[in-house]
Amino acid sequence: MLATHGESAKLLAGGQSLVPMMAMRLVRPGWLVDINEIAVLKFVAVEKDVARTGACTRQCVVERDEALAARVPLLRQALKWVGHIQTRNRGTVGGSLAHADPCAELPLVAQVLGARMLLRSAKGARTLEAEKFFSGPMATSARPDECLEEIHWPAWSWRRTGSAFTEISVRHGDFAMVSAAAQVAIDGDGRCVRAAFGVGGAGGTPLAFPKIAARLVGTRLDDAAVSDAAHAAAAETQPGSDLHASAEYRRHLAGVLAARALREARERARSL
Amino acid sequence: MRAMTSFRYIGAKRRAKEHPRFVSGRGRFVADIALPGMKHVALVASPHASARIVSIKIEKALAAPGVLYVLTGEEFCANTDSLAIGVDAPKVTRFALAKDVVRYAGEWVAAVVADSRALAEDAAERIEVEYEPLPHVIDPEAALKADAPLVHPAHGSNLLYHRTFVWGPVEEAFANAEHKIAFRAVWGRSATVPIETFGVAAQWDAGTGILDIWASIQMPKFPDQVARALRFPGNAVRVHHDVDVGGSYGVKRGLKHAVLVGYLTKTLGVPVRFIEDRLENLRGGDMQGPDRFFDMQLAFDTDGAIRAMKIRAVDDVGAYAGRSPFQLGKPVTAICGPYAIGAIEYEPTSVMTNKTPQEAVRGFGQSPTNFAIERAIDRVARHLGMDSIEVRKRNFIRKDQFPYTIPSGSTYDSGDYHAVLDKTLAAIDYGSLVRARDEVRRSGRLAGIGIASCLEPSGGNSAFEVLMNPKNENTTWMDSCLVRVDLSGAITGVINNSSAGQGHESLVSTVLGEILERDPETIRVVRADSLTALPSNSPVGSRMAIMLGGAAAGAAKTIKETLTAIAAHNFECSPEDLEYHDGSVNVKGASSKKFSWDQLVEIAHRKFHKLPPGLEPGLQAKFVWEVPTGGALPTPEGRIQIYPCYAFEAHVVLVEIDPDTGKPMIRRYVCGHDCGVMINPDIVHGMTYGGIAHGIGAALYEKFAYTEDGQLASGTFMDYLIPSAMEVPALAIVDHCTPSPLTTFGQKGSGEAGYLGAPAAIANAVNDALDPLGASIDALPISHLAIWSAIGARKGAAST
Ligand SMILES: Cc1cc2nc3c(=O)[nH]c(=O)nc-3n(C[C@H](O)[C@H](O)[C@H](O)COP(=O)(O)OP(=O)(O)OC[C@H]3O[C@@H](n4cnc5c(N)ncnc54)[C@H](O)[C@@H]3O)c2cc1C
Repeated sequence: MLATHGESAKLLAGGQSLVPMMAMRLVRPGWLVDINEIAVLKFVAVEKDVARTGACTRQCVVERDEALAARVPLLRQALKWVGHIQTRNRGTVGGSLAHADPCAELPLVAQVLGARMLLRSAKGARTLEAEKFFSGPMATSARPDECLEEIHWPAWSWRRTGSAFTEISVRHGDFAMVSAAAQVAIDGDGRCVRAAFGVGGAGGTPLAFPKIAARLVGTRLDDAAVSDAAHAAAAETQPGSDLHASAEYRRHLAGVLAARALREARERARSL
Repeated sequence: MRAMTSFRYIGAKRRAKEHPRFVSGRGRFVADIALPGMKHVALVASPHASARIVSIKIEKALAAPGVLYVLTGEEFCANTDSLAIGVDAPKVTRFALAKDVVRYAGEWVAAVVADSRALAEDAAERIEVEYEPLPHVIDPEAALKADAPLVHPAHGSNLLYHRTFVWGPVEEAFANAEHKIAFRAVWGRSATVPIETFGVAAQWDAGTGILDIWASIQMPKFPDQVARALRFPGNAVRVHHDVDVGGSYGVKRGLKHAVLVGYLTKTLGVPVRFIEDRLENLRGGDMQGPDRFFDMQLAFDTDGAIRAMKIRAVDDVGAYAGRSPFQLGKPVTAICGPYAIGAIEYEPTSVMTNKTPQEAVRGFGQSPTNFAIERAIDRVARHLGMDSIEVRKRNFIRKDQFPYTIPSGSTYDSGDYHAVLDKTLAAIDYGSLVRARDEVRRSGRLAGIGIASCLEPSGGNSAFEVLMNPKNENTTWMDSCLVRVDLSGAITGVINNSSAGQGHESLVSTVLGEILERDPETIRVVRADSLTALPSNSPVGSRMAIMLGGAAAGAAKTIKETLTAIAAHNFECSPEDLEYHDGSVNVKGASSKKFSWDQLVEIAHRKFHKLPPGLEPGLQAKFVWEVPTGGALPTPEGRIQIYPCYAFEAHVVLVEIDPDTGKPMIRRYVCGHDCGVMINPDIVHGMTYGGIAHGIGAALYEKFAYTEDGQLASGTFMDYLIPSAMEVPALAIVDHCTPSPLTTFGQKGSGEAGYLGAPAAIANAVNDALDPLGASIDALPISHLAIWSAIGARKGAAST
């Protein structure tokens, strides 16, 4: 269908973004391709270094999966901020990533963990890193004839790995004004062996800061180091302004929330 | 004064009569009205805030599938008359469709009628309108300048109404007072936003010559106004009131919608329905509320006594007038709040801009005014270093001063403000609340306590109309009820309006049950249509408990008198020798000598030979009455009695603020409330809970924001933020009862309860939280961004 109809065909997953946009006549597909009944797109598989989720797996299924929560805890932590129970019952993981709202939670998790997207078209399959997948506000590098099939979420093997997700929105369940995700691993002495963090809502795509995070390796993740890293990251953001938040406010929030996420992740790692 | 215990059904906890119907999904709303062969409407809206319409090309739309008709302003305005204009501004005409010029983004330009709404929308997109943009004005102060673009050039200026009222020795008080403050309080444009948008279905019957209308309305004189605009005699429009209204609190006016649909069904000869989608509702549905700033000045002494207050209120009504300027008029009836302030200057100023027209919202301008007054009280306290509770108590009208006439001429009926505030403070354990706030502060976060004590004028004597427009000499604000007892002895109350969740069926059945001593569960309440109805002013201005309750009681008393007269005639005694008990009438002191309800009903309906001479057969009574204290015209200096009854509410709230993000969180909330005798406490509490939630929205979240080029920036629920269950904390309500001496049972109105004080209380709490930083915010809604900016500005100022 996608190969034949190209731009005029749209995949329909949970419909929680697509249907409202159609109701407002912002999107007018000539064809809707319902992928909700395709079994191979709906699964959760936890393997040694990676967890795989089918693109059409409901957000609530991913949120409730215990094995997944044990290996990639950031997903569950993020999902509780995604909309409401009702929207998570319908909305899918792949739909959220493909929709690529710069304020959405799952794209941020994908960026921070360096998830890989498996895309398939009639011509074949290819894999894209999150960083290459998200190309701008509401835009991805998937071609119109490609379907997101699977998402591969890296699982860290350090025993003392902690992660955290936090955000601020005007009301509970709204898209975040700014969000932040962090994951850190520490050794027996409490020294950081790996760190990753990022912020959403502070640019056209969710942002991860691998270079700044790398500077945390070897530190004890004390508050000063965390705060420096968070502020360095905030300084790199170029947020936009809207009705609810100015660019300056968003940049400030990016720093505050990144520091909070890092500290919370650190405390979780220390408690293990 | 009546003791509450003397009632049998009034004040008792009882399930609302309407609940089973709604809870089981059996409500009947406009969208449930499906008439055979019904067609649907979609609209073309202006993308410009101000423009000349150069041309409208409709051919492509007419050729689209399923399309029956395309209507433009040219045809519509030639064949209908302007909607009523409340103030004296005859050139500010208003039609459902724009002609020649558009005056706000979202204004309707053309209407398409098609087989389905979807087809109508498809066709509407094919209408090509060529516009020539004209200068526009969005800011009300800019609109008042001499060189401002004119929204209605024929009117000559953007000023719709302006007057300076001086009630009492204001200048003298200002000259002699020990202290003065001045500040500006800003109320953002928000509204009530019901789940159900506005909808109307209409059917013209060429055989009878009657236009039938089913609409989601809460609008006084709706049938009359629709008929006038359509140039029909009044008896050619039949509005069906048995349509459930899915929320309103003021905004469901729908005149322009109904005139448009009425015109279409008449022209096309088929039934037509129009139901707004959300964008049409928010942008072009003319349902946005007051948009107002207050320049406040107060003169007071060191002991906290307030001597005089000056209020300049500038209200931006948007592009057309309607009733909206009157929202500056109602607050005249409680212009000094619950305080004994002897001299008041009030300068209401109504301005037009190129925004969506304003409509009535819960409180009709009272909540913004209460907000300004309550901010002023806190500012007086802060200026004097006094506790704001002390300032309030120092100035409250005392309970022994009622009835109390305020400088603007209205007399407050009753109240005990000190008692209610004390009760509220006790309920929240004020001492521990202060400790909780201080503890939060010590932990490095911001926290504040907010208090508001204010009035809900009720009873709906809308004499502000004649106050603001002497040409509109209307002093009659009646309501009525018809009660019938049928041959089987069953009681039916007939009311004359539709309801938007106020529980009028519960109200009337409770009142009839109370007077006639019959179980309210067995009493049915139905609605007359507008051709069979008795006169009503519809449920506005918190009037129905008083006015419909009073009318039902009056009719029931007549029934009771009739029954007693029948018994007296048959016992050949005087009615004074008889007593009425549980529906039967017996001889005093001889309870077995009686006529039962069924016997009396039987006589009334079937036994003319036993009926007292002169009594009309059957068993029915109507009661129509004028609002208590109504009927007078204003004095030359603009003093007038407006609403009869005054309910009081006191809010105490604790707000915590995250200093790093500016996020406010309401931690505690208690509201003390005195609306006299409650007829149905669950309904009153439900109103109050909802009112507080609504007030939280106005205080922190909801705003119809406009861009500089005049576009509505909050046209969806992603940007117009209504508080959800997550933003509304646990609320505690503390009841108090000071009966009104003016009403049948001592009741007062309560439809606006909670909303009238919540925004003020929350704003005061946020300001108490910011006080240690020396920052303040006097503009609603108080966004996260505004709080963060205020904190940041202070921190910045401190570090330089
Ligand atoms: C009230 C409400 C609140 C919300 N709040 C949030 C929030 O706070 N945070 C948040 O992140 N989201 C939020 N959402 C959006 C929600 O998470 C959506 O479910 C999600 O954005 C889209 O997922 P979906 O499965 O519903 O996709 P759909 O709406 O069906 O599709 C969205 C887009 O993705 C495309 N698509 C879907 N699946 C694939 C695929 N496998 N391959 C390629 N393209 C695909 C579709 O063609 C479409 O363009 C909210 C939604 C609602 C209604």
